[in-house]
Amino acid sequence: MCESSLNGAAVIMKANSPTIVSGARTKFGEHYEREPERLVEEAGLTALNSASIERKDLDACFFADYFLPITNKIGLEEGFLSELLELYIPMEITRSFSSALSNACNAILAGKYNCVLVGGMEKMTDRWDKIRDDLMLLEDPWSYYAGSTPEANHELMLRAYIKKHKITGKQLETLNTALAELSVRNHHNAMKNQDAHFQREISVETVMKARLKERKPLGLFDFAPISDGASALILTNFSVAESYTDKPIHILGYSQATDYITFPSRNNLTGFNATRLAIKDALKTAKVELDDISILELYDQSTVMGLVSLEDLGFCEIGKAWIDIHQNYERDKNYYNIGSNPLFINVNGGLKADGNPLGATGGAETLEVFNQLRHKAGERQIAFDGELRYGCVHELEGFGTKAYTIILGRAEDE
Amino acid sequence: MSSEPIERRVAYIGDRLRGTRCGFCGREYFKIKDYCGACGRESFGKMESIDFFYEEGTLEFCTLINEPTNKFKRLGSYIYGIASFHNGNVRFPGRLTDHIIRDEEFSLEELEGRKIVPRFRRRHAAEPSGIVPTISLAFTFADEYYPYQEYRIVKPSKEYDKPGIVGYGVYTSKFRIKEGKIERAIPFLDEDAMTASVEAGKMALIHSGIDHRSVDKVYVGSESNPYAVKPMASKVAQVLKLGEEEAAEGVQCVDAVDTEFACKAATSMFKDAASLVYYQGSKGSYTMVIGADNSQSAPRGEPGGELDFFVGYGGSAFLFGMCDVIAQFEGWVSITSDTPDFWRRDLQRYPSHGGRFTGLPAYFKHVTKATNKLMEKLKLKPQDVDYFVAHQPNAAFPTRVAKALGFKEDQFLPGLQVAKFGNTYSGCSPIGLAAVLEVAKPDNRIIMTSYGSGAGSDAYSFITTSQLEDKKPRQKFTVGYQAANPFLDYVDYTTYRRLKQGMNGN
Repeated sequence: MCESSLNGAAVIMKANSPTIVSGARTKFGEHYEREPERLVEEAGLTALNSASIERKDLDACFFADYFLPITNKIGLEEGFLSELLELYIPMEITRSFSSALSNACNAILAGKYNCVLVGGMEKMTDRWDKIRDDLMLLEDPWSYYAGSTPEANHELMLRAYIKKHKITGKQLETLNTALAELSVRNHHNAMKNQDAHFQREISVETVMKARLKERKPLGLFDFAPISDGASALILTNFSVAESYTDKPIHILGYSQATDYITFPSRNNLTGFNATRLAIKDALKTAKVELDDISILELYDQSTVMGLVSLEDLGFCEIGKAWIDIHQNYERDKNYYNIGSNPLFINVNGGLKADGNPLGATGGAETLEVFNQLRHKAGERQIAFDGELRYGCVHELEGFGTKAYTIILGRAEDE
Repeated sequence: MSSEPIERRVAYIGDRLRGTRCGFCGREYFKIKDYCGACGRESFGKMESIDFFYEEGTLEFCTLINEPTNKFKRLGSYIYGIASFHNGNVRFPGRLTDHIIRDEEFSLEELEGRKIVPRFRRRHAAEPSGIVPTISLAFTFADEYYPYQEYRIVKPSKEYDKPGIVGYGVYTSKFRIKEGKIERAIPFLDEDAMTASVEAGKMALIHSGIDHRSVDKVYVGSESNPYAVKPMASKVAQVLKLGEEEAAEGVQCVDAVDTEFACKAATSMFKDAASLVYYQGSKGSYTMVIGADNSQSAPRGEPGGELDFFVGYGGSAFLFGMCDVIAQFEGWVSITSDTPDFWRRDLQRYPSHGGRFTGLPAYFKHVTKATNKLMEKLKLKPQDVDYFVAHQPNAAFPTRVAKALGFKEDQFLPGLQVAKFGNTYSGCSPIGLAAVLEVAKPDNRIIMTSYGSGAGSDAYSFITTSQLEDKKPRQKFTVGYQAANPFLDYVDYTTYRRLKQGMNGN
């Protein structure tokens, strides 16, 4: 058995612990001119190439997409992948990237496979005319029948949050500003991300003006866009990881939880219980303290989803995240001081600026943490006094109907 | 193309807002569940069926929707939110309907916390060849046009020797167009003849206090059924749960049928309803007759567009039985001739209106003949009659016919409602009758004569009873209340045509 100590903590890596050895992605955005297979090919082949992995090394493939059967009329995605990469291996299709990754981790841990490809893609702009209806039906058919939109439940959650925590007057202004600041930060971070959907700075005023124009609690700049894109990771077990890379990143803990599909019927209207359950379990498995996490990729489909998720994950006190967001924005635009260590959030621009091609999004989040922990994030490599060792990926499906949390860690430097 | 099974299931739950209550812990759920999340396996077989159709709820949180999903695009901007029922025990999503978002400032905060009532409406747009989707996840404020009213079942106390009206309901929408002296009701985008039928029937149940399970037959008369083939009466029966319910199969033990004869599709069935309850004797069964129309007309300037000055929207429902009667039948006469004065051919959107027959050979001939024959039969003179109601395609015709028959203004004006709602086609003369019943005293004689193009008239004589007064306080949503209401929303001609075109825009 191969063992390695992480950070001096009692984390023992077993021979079949899941480990990421390489990853790649496409640019996120509007790829009108490219077929879905071109995007998958780009992400998948780049990931294989960068770790010099041959197709024959792959034991299986776990692939995520929400809508390919609807957007591109591809029902049997496995066949399409097989033809594309000339792969005849076992394949499984899941919805979110985190779900594909979790399944891959299970298989590696069980000792079934040694080396697998985890991919995700979405081609949402191919169905531009109907994608919002699809998104809403995915989120909850009954809310759809009642007239909801993909944005509406976010706004209702904000209304509920304001009421529950009795936020009024000056404080309410601060809360609304803090939400805008999340967007501004995302756009700022994406300036260093060549693959981001949007690469332009925005201001708090821009976010506010859009809300005012639409007469809504949240406006255009509070929401992630509809994007196309693909992402891929190569996952191996710990014992073979070092044959592919000298800087493997280990999946120390991963968990998920599920909640009611109809948001209004849930008890908790001001956060996502699924996230709260998932993070607790993931940290326990990883034997890592929340405070040890230096980099967080937050699934912020909207600013309010980012806000409550910071609370659900435990980084901020319930009902107080907006205070932390606002104070940190005024202090420094690079990182948050909300625990005893600096916390970098959505360094790639988050869903708002990096983009949100559903099936590929979790892959981009995980890839970001992977690159950062390996100190291979190029221009946007984070640095601070102290050691960058643990990262956390957070992904949701629907409106918090499913939550995934993944804790990643780097082996101790030689 | 709609999925019939999905439509059937969604409407079955959504139209009536069916839910479940745990027999152990009392926890309530929207939708049908065989299992309580809190009580677990023990709750199997202990779950009770409930519904929220007659309930009052609270709009807890809301937001504005400017960019709806495709099927809601015709609604433009609207308020969407979370409503809670039974003190927050159950919450579900819904949109605010009958509410036009205008340019003025508004605050979501002021809307939140207000009481709401669920409304049965079209769910969203559908293909013209598909099933018409419906739902009651649409709300209006309980302190506005449509008040919250409890549906309280009252045990019948008195049996009569002759059948009669035991209760009635009238429904017209909140929207109006006012041109000169005439005001006309306009459906909101998600309303049609089917939703008006259900609303009128609901009001009749509330007013009569009869048990919905004791209705044995329902007739729905209309010429604007959104379907060319498929009854509206089946929808009414299911939503209002008429007749005994066989819940396991999802069927109602009731006979339901649509009728059509231009504007007399409903009044024609009054005598059938009376005969039916009389034939069944005192078994305590009732028959409901609904007349409702989203009266159709081509736009002005197009052929048939002359009707566009008169068409209204609304419906009435009358319940007939032998117990707790408020007005007994005294007699009836019907006449018919094959006179083509107004028609709509299959697949045509709007009715045609020749003009040649409209006045004397059609309306006046039939209404006069039927009324005279009834009065001869019952040996009545105009002074023996307290109120006279004639079909009212406009204000001039019924006035002229009433005067020609020898009636005075105090006899016919109370029933003349066309200037408030427009011509509601099948609902038209029954709404006049309802308005009269609101002002009549016990032992009054009312003659109502309908007219249906094509052509024919039904004349009825009713004698009111003392129970008329007992039942008046049960209905807040009266004809008078709907005619003069501070919450009426007046719109211009362009908006009127847009609303009239409905969710599909056609």
